[in-house]
Amino acid sequence: MSAYFIRRILWLFPVLFVVALITFSLMHAAPGGPWDRDLSSRQVDAGTQKVLNAYYGLDKPLWRQFTAYVFGDVSSTTDKFVCGLVCGNLGPSYRVRGSTVQDILFKPPKGKGFEYSRFGYSLRLGLISLVFAIVLGIPAGIFSALKQNSLIDYLSGFISSVGISIPSFVMAIFMIIIFATTLHWVSVVPKSWDEAKAWVLPAAVLGFGTLAFATRLTRASMLEVLRQDYIRTARAKGLHENIVVWRHMLRNALIPVVTILGPALAGLVTGSFIIETMFSFPGMGRAYVTAISQRDYSMILGTTLLYVLMVSLANLSVDFLYVIIDPRIRLEE
Amino acid sequence: MRKIFALLSLLIVASMALAACGGAPSATQAPTDQPAQPAATTAPEQPAATEAPAYHGTLRVNVGTFPDIMDPQKSSFVNEIAVLQMVYEGLTRLNGDLETVPAAAESWKYNGDATELVFTLRKGLTYSDGSMLNAARYEYSLHRNIDPATAGEYASITNDIAGAADWNSCTENCDDKKAVVMETVKASHADGAACTGYDDAACDTLTLKFTQPAPYFHTVASLWVTYPAKQELIEAGGEDWWLDSDNHVGNGPFVMTNLEQGVNVHFAPNEVYWAGVPSYDLDYSFITDGAVAFEAYKNNELDINGLAAEDLATVQADPVLSKEANIYPGSCSFAMMYHQLKAPFNDPKVREAFSYALDRDAWVTDVLKGLGSSTLTWIPKGFPGYKDGETRWGYDPAKAVQTLTDAGYKVEGGKLIGPDGKAIEITDTFSDTPRNRTRNEWLVAKWKEVLGIDIKLDPVEATTYTALTKDINTAPQMYILGWCADYPDPQNWLSVYWKTGAFGQRIGYSNPDLDALLTQADGELDPAKRADLYQQAQDMLVAGAPVSFMWNNVNTYMVKPWVTNLNKTPMDFGWIGSMDPLSVTVSEPTK
Repeated sequence: MSAYFIRRILWLFPVLFVVALITFSLMHAAPGGPWDRDLSSRQVDAGTQKVLNAYYGLDKPLWRQFTAYVFGDVSSTTDKFVCGLVCGNLGPSYRVRGSTVQDILFKPPKGKGFEYSRFGYSLRLGLISLVFAIVLGIPAGIFSALKQNSLIDYLSGFISSVGISIPSFVMAIFMIIIFATTLHWVSVVPKSWDEAKAWVLPAAVLGFGTLAFATRLTRASMLEVLRQDYIRTARAKGLHENIVVWRHMLRNALIPVVTILGPALAGLVTGSFIIETMFSFPGMGRAYVTAISQRDYSMILGTTLLYVLMVSLANLSVDFLYVIIDPRIRLEE
Repeated sequence: MRKIFALLSLLIVASMALAACGGAPSATQAPTDQPAQPAATTAPEQPAATEAPAYHGTLRVNVGTFPDIMDPQKSSFVNEIAVLQMVYEGLTRLNGDLETVPAAAESWKYNGDATELVFTLRKGLTYSDGSMLNAARYEYSLHRNIDPATAGEYASITNDIAGAADWNSCTENCDDKKAVVMETVKASHADGAACTGYDDAACDTLTLKFTQPAPYFHTVASLWVTYPAKQELIEAGGEDWWLDSDNHVGNGPFVMTNLEQGVNVHFAPNEVYWAGVPSYDLDYSFITDGAVAFEAYKNNELDINGLAAEDLATVQADPVLSKEANIYPGSCSFAMMYHQLKAPFNDPKVREAFSYALDRDAWVTDVLKGLGSSTLTWIPKGFPGYKDGETRWGYDPAKAVQTLTDAGYKVEGGKLIGPDGKAIEITDTFSDTPRNRTRNEWLVAKWKEVLGIDIKLDPVEATTYTALTKDINTAPQMYILGWCADYPDPQNWLSVYWKTGAFGQRIGYSNPDLDALLTQADGELDPAKRADLYQQAQDMLVAGAPVSFMWNNVNTYMVKPWVTNLNKTPMDFGWIGSMDPLSVTVSEPTK
């Protein structure tokens, strides 16, 4: 089994390389560049643009820019070799000039811990909303299945339909109007993210979609398991209902749920543009999306690679969980 | 085909990112490029501090997007300058009437032909930490602004300084070029003796030498690129020195006490600011979503917030909110640009016809919902050089059709047929947002109505649009573009934009007669003659109907009733009254 995981982890490198190559080609095929700023601002003049391109190596041929990004290149200013992605250097941001992409994503403000970096904020929010989705979603799915067509089933069906169909920006503004403007339980603009209650709304809105999906999936797969012969057998041999549900139904029913939770985790912790914009949340989701329209090349690559890494690792841990949940699954070839 | 591939690839990159985020980027609040005007009262003798209010409040302002960069010599966006102008002050500043008045420099003097400008600094100026501020600091700021190693995005604004353009665009072996600028921007004692450093109290004179007469440069010296951020802090802090509030030791009305990236910037009054001490703390929030910011404002969490067009109707219908709305002229001019080298707009008669066919007043009421004012000229009302009563090429549907017919054009089946009998296709290109879509659909419908021509709409992605419109070869046939004042001088409106090789180059505009007139005006020292020359130049510009001048923007802010004495100017940015923060008073909020 350990050989399997080592192989899977080694496979990550070619995957990251290919993703970097594809992303690099696509973003350079898009017209415009990092110095084409918002039109309502004064545009960078040709002379400055030339200097900037030379400084950042954007005047070099594309293949050289790519190898510089992945492996490194000699700096145009100091004539020293600067190591690239292979050393964990995600490159300089073209918009937040003076900062590297890894600084923007992972460096906390002075005197604060890692959890105060952009990634740290997104990670915390993502984990909270995932816990929220699991703790509420899976039990709701189980009860709905066990009490099929009861009031509780209809209620959770209604809530999960709402969660899937209402876009998060609508949900967010509704939540703000209800809980901040009307009830005054929280403020619209949190004074500080050290207050626990500031996290409630963003985490709930972010996790709601996953919650709804987890509820529906749990319910569907529970219903399927309920009708299996081995459940009837278990009941027939007089097992206590709790044991039937927990040992025989749940372990089998949860496999599809676990499958979706892996990628969901990656999506939740890499941040959400909508949630961050609506709640003025200092995470990395906004940096991720605005980088595309700003043609902040290294930021696009860096965040994409980080996302790929998270998805791969999440999928890997899902594979690992399968073995625990379902003893029939063996990861050996 | 290439375009399709480009668009496709953009979509794919976007979808990869969006997969994680579940949403599309909304348009960020459009910043404008108005320059920073350091604020102050009209005279040092009458600061607000003389009658200190008992209540020391905090003014809470939403500034929108968090700045990408807060470095005086690198910043160029309105939200960035909104921060910098509170902490730093230039050699001069603008007052509430957009006149250039003394700031760190108590006086300035041009030589006979305005090719040299000498600033004399105030005595006893200090930074907020009490350390000395002398002319060598400003010398450093200007050198740093021109230095190609800084590569500031606004660097070219000081290109009138002799040698600046050469050094600034230099990529290799720049020492000679640097040496030139070291001489043309020079701090000294009043008697011309060399300064010995930043602790030289007699170093109070800054001399600038220009390549050509530049009698407007004392106004340029009010811009943020001259803000004297400290060399030792910049060098110790590295390229991202500006991320640490401790490095922002300035000479403006406020001191930055907290900077949390993406969240908040907090300012306290600068107790040693020469013009007086503000009576309140200042707190910037960065809420980009308009609906959320509006909720926060209604919930009394913000004192000043921009009023978005979509909230206008709600505000006007509300008896309380309607009293808190402030709508007043801004500093930008917008026009329908026509590519002067691409058919059919290479023919001035076609441009005239299109201008005649444009009902600007209907545009302002129907499309802008009153948030703007129509114009037929380039320099907006409220700015020096504004021409009242311009009527040329105003809305006249009959004349529009007549002009086209007289010039030998025909319209058949929605197609414009040139005098040579060939059909000319016309495309209107715009940056694809829901708002722009409505705007351009309206325009195209109006032209169809008046001239009968079918104009194709060509929506493109925002950055693609910027890239296209920047280059004379790729600039579309017709598109909307604006210009916002960097500083209130006709030179900035006319010479910086319309001289051959300047911004107007992108639509292929080049008029040697106008160039000559503008060069003459730029170098004229007599203010009355100078104003007259610029007036002639603007007349000449309008006469050629190069573009259809359309509208001027408005500044729109919601202000809580406990914030008073706001001195609003067209060049406010970030927030209403930001040009004159000393006069603002914040009383105790009422529930």
